[in-house]
Amino acid sequence: MHALPNRRQVVGSLVGGSLLLPGIVSELLAADAPAPRPDDPLAPRPPHFPARAKRVIFLFMTGGVSHLESFDPKPQLARDAGRTHNGRTLLGPQFRFARAGRSGMAVSELFPEIASCADDLCVIRSLHGSHFEHFQATLGVHTGSLTVKRPSIGSWVSYGLGTENQNLPSFVVLAPHLPYAGTQVWSSDFLPACHQGIRLLPGDEPIRDLKRRSPSEAVQEMELDLLSRFNRRHGEARPSDPLLAGRMRSFETAFGMQREMPEVLDLSGESDATLALYGLERGQTDGFGWQCLVARRMAERGVRFVELIDSGSSNNWDSHGAMKDHIPRARSVDRPIAGLLKDLKSRGLLDDTLVVWTTEFGRTPHTDGPTGRSHHPYVFSSWLAGGGVKGGTVHGSSDDYGYFPAEDPVHLHDFHATILHLLGFDHERLTYRYSGRDFRLTDVSGRVVREILA
Amino acid sequence: MTRLIDARVLLLLGLLVTALPGELPGQETAESEPMSRPTAAQLEFFEKEVRPILANRCYSCHSAGAERIRGDLVLDSRAGLLKGGGFGPAVVPGRPDESPLIEAVRYDDPLFRMPPDERLSDREIEVLETWVAAGAPGPPDDPEAARPGGAAESLSVEAADWWSFQPVQNPDPPEVRDEHWPRSPIDRFVLAQLEANGMRPAPETDRRTFIRRLSFDLTGLPPTPEEVEAFLRDEGPDAFERLVDRLLASPQYGERWGRRWLDLVRYADTSGCNGDFPMPEAYRYRNYVIDRFNRDTPYDEFLEEQIAGDLMPSDSEAQRRERVIATGYLAISRRFSSVAEEFHLTLDDTIDNLGKAVLGLTISCARCHDHKFDPIPQADYYALYGIFESSRFAFPGTEIYRHPKDLVPLVDEDRLTTELQPYLDRMADLDEQMYATYPLVEMLDTGKERDAQRAIFKRLLGERDELLKSLPEFGWAYAVSEGEPTDTRIHLKGDHERLGAVAPRGFLTILGGQQVPAEEPGSGRHALAGWITDPENPLTARVLVNRVWQHHFGEGIVRTANDFGTRGDPPTHPELLDWLASRFLDQGWSIKALHREIVLSASYRMASIADPRSAERDPENRLLWTFNRRRLDAEEIRDAVLRISGALDPSPGGPHPFPPVWEWRYSQHKPFVDDYPSPRRSVYLMQQRIRLQPLLAIFDAADTNTSTDRRKTSTTPQQALFSMNDAFMHEQAARLADRLSAEVPDPASRIDRAFRLALGRPPREAEVLEAQAYLDAIDLALRDAGIADDRRPSAAWSSYLRVLLSSNAFLFID
Repeated sequence: MHALPNRRQVVGSLVGGSLLLPGIVSELLAADAPAPRPDDPLAPRPPHFPARAKRVIFLFMTGGVSHLESFDPKPQLARDAGRTHNGRTLLGPQFRFARAGRSGMAVSELFPEIASCADDLCVIRSLHGSHFEHFQATLGVHTGSLTVKRPSIGSWVSYGLGTENQNLPSFVVLAPHLPYAGTQVWSSDFLPACHQGIRLLPGDEPIRDLKRRSPSEAVQEMELDLLSRFNRRHGEARPSDPLLAGRMRSFETAFGMQREMPEVLDLSGESDATLALYGLERGQTDGFGWQCLVARRMAERGVRFVELIDSGSSNNWDSHGAMKDHIPRARSVDRPIAGLLKDLKSRGLLDDTLVVWTTEFGRTPHTDGPTGRSHHPYVFSSWLAGGGVKGGTVHGSSDDYGYFPAEDPVHLHDFHATILHLLGFDHERLTYRYSGRDFRLTDVSGRVVREILA
Repeated sequence: MTRLIDARVLLLLGLLVTALPGELPGQETAESEPMSRPTAAQLEFFEKEVRPILANRCYSCHSAGAERIRGDLVLDSRAGLLKGGGFGPAVVPGRPDESPLIEAVRYDDPLFRMPPDERLSDREIEVLETWVAAGAPGPPDDPEAARPGGAAESLSVEAADWWSFQPVQNPDPPEVRDEHWPRSPIDRFVLAQLEANGMRPAPETDRRTFIRRLSFDLTGLPPTPEEVEAFLRDEGPDAFERLVDRLLASPQYGERWGRRWLDLVRYADTSGCNGDFPMPEAYRYRNYVIDRFNRDTPYDEFLEEQIAGDLMPSDSEAQRRERVIATGYLAISRRFSSVAEEFHLTLDDTIDNLGKAVLGLTISCARCHDHKFDPIPQADYYALYGIFESSRFAFPGTEIYRHPKDLVPLVDEDRLTTELQPYLDRMADLDEQMYATYPLVEMLDTGKERDAQRAIFKRLLGERDELLKSLPEFGWAYAVSEGEPTDTRIHLKGDHERLGAVAPRGFLTILGGQQVPAEEPGSGRHALAGWITDPENPLTARVLVNRVWQHHFGEGIVRTANDFGTRGDPPTHPELLDWLASRFLDQGWSIKALHREIVLSASYRMASIADPRSAERDPENRLLWTFNRRRLDAEEIRDAVLRISGALDPSPGGPHPFPPVWEWRYSQHKPFVDDYPSPRRSVYLMQQRIRLQPLLAIFDAADTNTSTDRRKTSTTPQQALFSMNDAFMHEQAARLADRLSAEVPDPASRIDRAFRLALGRPPREAEVLEAQAYLDAIDLALRDAGIADDRRPSAAWSSYLRVLLSSNAFLFID
């Protein structure tokens, strides 16, 4: 990891030259390490058993990426294209597949860059348990629940592990557009609100209220100092109230976040080579390459769960009319994702960072529009890379046309159980008592796919 | 079929088949009729061929000895096999093709495969098929070795003994040693427990603290400085009583406590479907709730109106309409998906909410199976389901059928028949045609026929929109009405496509088990309302008085206010709960009388203190030795800031400015998402289900998707950022600065006024000096930041006031 400036240096540099009264800033200086209190729900805590991965970067492709045109080659479907099957017209794969890497994994020509990382990927071709509508399926992939709102997987991970950097949220979502089901996708639901995903937008104010509105730093520091004195006096007359103390601390964290977040988002220190890896122009602050590079910087700074959503509830992978509509979508994510994997690897971060690539469902082997496909929740493909998974492997298969799982079906609950396992959790024991019962991400099922563990 | 089975097995099978009666037992037999005794050959076949497969491949998850029994299914007993799990009987003797066990091991259905790790061999599958075809003979169960699942029956007996299902008692207030402290019988219950534990209640709080506490508590707003001073000066013996009565009589009371009801019934102005369609008429229900709290409508009547208001007699046309609007409670149930087929989830949401909000029971746990912990069999769930399925819910529109329908016109009978009926008939006709056409559009693969149907659909929709535009002016209620009365069939494992036995419409067994009388013509909603509000019902009154107590003290007597079942917390003061409930019933279900009783008690007047000795004995304050300090909730924060700055519009809110229905094109791709800013109280802001109102969400607003019995109190950096940087805080502080400079010319007096407005008290001298020093210092900093001379005084005050409105002293109630 980068050598980060310590807290004293950061605070010291911002205080320099201002006319500060003793107050909040001196308190900040007093504590070099921002040691979270034991009662802090975001304090880092160990999982159930030694983990293979310490953090997750979750790449979510909105709209339903076709398994038949990405990671699940179907020669039989190509041969039988145009035939009628169960009253529907079969559509042959619209893109070629090529063998990649030493593993010889077949990857579609839509993803030439990701193909160059094939030996790091563990592709699952037998994922199922989704829903035929975007909204429900998107919730299902994130929460394990297809109908009612439940905590997102990122919230569960934050709840289980806390966070390593108190100045940043534990669960960050980089989603330039609102996905299906809106903010429910990163909701903490019944888990404590500190585990909610914090949505970060490209642009001037990446998080609501992050930007200082007071006219200068000096003014804001004086305001915080006055506030600190108000609250200290109020608290002295009301000792040992954790809520009051917690609220005082929250201003420290907010202040820290206001400082550190722009620094995380400042890519000026990245080399030309790194920017090129992600397909980024210098100064560029949008696009999936930007999201991926920011994700790496978040991962380096101890953010537990970073989710990247590539598009929103329109203009996405939902190619009903023509599969060639996958081309621009693939182009926008292919190099950035490969860049992220390579960059993580070269920095030694891929060993304990789990990268997950998924979508809400696959697409039908038959036509919808003339050369497009409809929603297909019964089987689809996803992949994992890094922290504790076997690279260069394919797990499970679908049948000859790609309608259903054929071998080793992996239910979404199994998928979630496996991700939690890699983070060191027994998914049956990561529970939260709500409404009279212990809830968990995997509901009442889920089996760890041990075959893919390195 | 027996291709893979060796000769020895074939021989055994021959014996087995001939030993059985020729007639194969049907499904009925599985549950009711015991099998004839198996022959020795059958037993041998079972033990040698069948049991090893089950033991090796199934028992680890499906036996009495399993570490965790999956799917409620045990296969190591006949009872287990025949009773089965969530999908009904695991085997149907004689019918392998109808037996879920066989279906699962065949691996034909990719989503229903057992064992999950690896398919049985073909031979093993054939053994099981043969065995089931022969009637699944096996040894009878040893009655001593009852499976743990059998404990369900004994548990339910225990559960029926659970305190909350027992009749409400009317206990006498207990004796206490300190006879001077109690002001109300309530206090005797509280004090007796404290004394029994060697503890003392906190001293009485001062009047300033009290009026701030009570004003927020009853109205959600701070007291004005004038109100505070008047109360301090009031030396009358009934000063507290008059204060309470004034606040209870103010219209802000209904806005405050109505909001608490809206939390429980997960009120929203949008449906929750994939496109989150607006429900523009839902506001009438919101205003109805506020009105009923203000009028102190008896709680039983309030419930009856919400469940069956359309079926109640009424004294006037106005009352009839209000009662129709009241059933908006049911109509605002959550919508799911984009299609109408998922309506069973909406009915589940109705039952879930009725259970939690009104009865304090998690009834919807019995949707897929008998409730695991509470005495609620699955049949009870479907008894309620039938009642709501027999009702017609207003339909908000969805992505596919984007026009609302089944709303109830708010017009009198005369106007309805003479003027409106032709329009409504034509609309119903168009709806019917559209609903018939749409599935055709979807079913047809491609081509001209599909295009033709699509064109028809479009024409019908256009005609409907035109009709809507031409309608004479009148109001609609987003409400329910009577539908087709039908008893429903139990959904096996909650799957609405797998139907079991009929569940006659009725009430929960544990609460009486009444059934809708056969001669009653309608859905049974009115009967249901009667069962719920029956004074003998042990839950309805207890649940309500506990909620009122919870909101006054921060914690309920039962701390799990939506769960009075066996998984919930038992009451900290059971006799007090019953005393309050029976008094509530005696006083005609009056909620205002209940408030009065509680807030005039000595218990409510306790100061909020830190006492290390008491804190050590009772860290959670279960015995109530101090008043629980609390943070203002989201609405209180926004409303109080607006009130103090002078920006609050106190008038009641009306409808929201949604676009007209014919412009709606919402879908899951482009859901309805909007904000309608308003200077009115927060209860009147438009609330969505796809996302929370952004400002209120920062401070733990109620979830609009599920019943909220208590607000969370989270402390997040986002809240701190809001105080530091949000436009709302900066604008309101600037507004307050302007207000003060206009009203109070002298700076020292201005500081005094600011403290009184925000904190309800004058500043101490040191605080005035601190403020003056701050205003001087910040002026310099503002100058350095380039703020022009003429804007600096206002900016300096605004900075100071914003800090004041961000302070814990403002945000917390002692």
